[in-house]
Amino acid sequence: MDEFLSTLSKEDSLTYELSMLYKQWGYKEYRMAKFEEYSFYSDNRDFLSGKGILAFNNSDGRLMALKPDITLSIVKNAKLSDSLTKLYYNESVFRMSDSTMDYKEIKQTGVEVLGKVDEYLLAEMLMLAAKSLKTIDKDFVLSVSHMAFIPSLLAELEIGENAKKDIIECVKGKNIHDLRNICSKCGVSEEKTELLAKLAGINDKLDDAIDELCTLACNDEMKNACDELKFIASSLRKSDLADRLFIDLSVLNNTEYYNGIIFQGYVEKAPSAVLSGGRYDKLAGKLRENTQAVGFAVYLDNLNLYYKKKREFDSDILIVFDSANKSESLLSLVESFVEKGFSVRVEHTIPEGYRAKTVYSFENGALREVPSC
Amino acid sequence: MLNIALPKGRLGDKVYELFASIGYDCSEIYSDNRKLVFENEENGVRYLLVKPSDVAIYIAHGAADIGVVGKDILEEGKFDIYELLDLGLGKCNMCVAAPNDYVEDFDRPLRVATKFVNIAKNYYISLNREIEIIKLNGSIEIAPLLGLTDVIVDIVESGKTLKENNLRVYEQIMPISARLIANKSSYKFKGKDIDTLMEKLTKELAK
Repeated sequence: MDEFLSTLSKEDSLTYELSMLYKQWGYKEYRMAKFEEYSFYSDNRDFLSGKGILAFNNSDGRLMALKPDITLSIVKNAKLSDSLTKLYYNESVFRMSDSTMDYKEIKQTGVEVLGKVDEYLLAEMLMLAAKSLKTIDKDFVLSVSHMAFIPSLLAELEIGENAKKDIIECVKGKNIHDLRNICSKCGVSEEKTELLAKLAGINDKLDDAIDELCTLACNDEMKNACDELKFIASSLRKSDLADRLFIDLSVLNNTEYYNGIIFQGYVEKAPSAVLSGGRYDKLAGKLRENTQAVGFAVYLDNLNLYYKKKREFDSDILIVFDSANKSESLLSLVESFVEKGFSVRVEHTIPEGYRAKTVYSFENGALREVPSC
Repeated sequence: MLNIALPKGRLGDKVYELFASIGYDCSEIYSDNRKLVFENEENGVRYLLVKPSDVAIYIAHGAADIGVVGKDILEEGKFDIYELLDLGLGKCNMCVAAPNDYVEDFDRPLRVATKFVNIAKNYYISLNREIEIIKLNGSIEIAPLLGLTDVIVDIVESGKTLKENNLRVYEQIMPISARLIANKSSYKFKGKDIDTLMEKLTKELAK
């Protein structure tokens, strides 16, 4: 199997390996159509946070969209079971690229759970996220945050919405100097400013960071979040993955949709997050009554670029033959090589730059090794 | 090894001196050649000299771990990076400047020349003022003198260029200074090295 996976691109091998991982943890594959009514996405545009929607008219005049997001579609359409609905998917989304300002297809794989979310499920979700990252690269970091901290503190401040947005941008960028300036201009007390700065600066392994968070927690929401994080940390403690999990409250998401734990995953060779997820009861509750939800997506695009597979040879064997000297025996000869597990290419001449372990010429019904390629 | 992107030019020189003073020197940088990458393995640093406006691009794409860039570039581009420290170097202001005798006409959209299109747009959106932007790449001060635009949005350091072209600061948009930035992924994996550098920088700047 390893030999088979080594022949695939990083993106293709990950699609396979991650699917196997999610199946092992009891998740069912969910397939969906590429299109959805445009109005569904435009009604939830905030959730897409400016990712752009590629729309077109179908044959009956309805305005349709190529899916810019998978989570929305699953929450709206998945058949819910009496207990938990645990799904995984391998799909493409179509979004505006930040760099080219043009639409591009992005391959995603991920999991979603709909139903009653409890602390065990949150720990399982972080475990699966960490295992997904480890599948990409053993050098990974999973940054875990909780919406109960910064957002609940901001909610207590009597300042304008624009100032809150500016503070959130500062927190996301670990920009403590500008955060202090904004707080000072808006008349936020020194005590609250320092608390915001401390929370935004936390970047420690689970146990150490949770201890610090517990000492900083100043309202019931934060204290409950500490209890939740403590349970998750102790559930994960026995795993060798726990060392790779860090609390980083600069990971923030839309408060209209997300609540509870949110997280982002990084691997050493990729310059930005390759995994993103969290608990989104607010979005789930909007689309399906009394439904809670948690999930994450792994962004597979660009991983081929960061994890280039160097192949020494294009194939094991290259057979060159002259079509003027045709022979019925060539095909069965090639088949016998393939059945033995070799990769074989048949050509009329040696293609420019082609690298094969062994090159044969096929003449008079027999193979003759050509010295070098 | 920390990969550090520095802006070529005066600011870059100042920043290198600062970094060298806290133990991240790389004397090869003074050699008179056209090299753009300088490495000191002993100190664990590799400097990349790049165009000032490209520093944040190199960082956002992970080609360098940390870098130093003006706040004007960060505000104009909106990059997904960490902005870790205000170095307080290269201090200046982003301003609206206009001819000395300029009187604003509120009956029509304001015509603005600038190379900082997003900063200008966001500023006037905050004032709910309709504008027409003409993007220029240099010698912005000429635009109002030739009647091309009413005002300009540009960086003002000493105000000397404005004065010599019969212009004055009409409104101040924001203070600008050099910022230490980091790639988000690099910070996850080289956080200790970056934090150590930041601590040393903070101490040095406080002197």
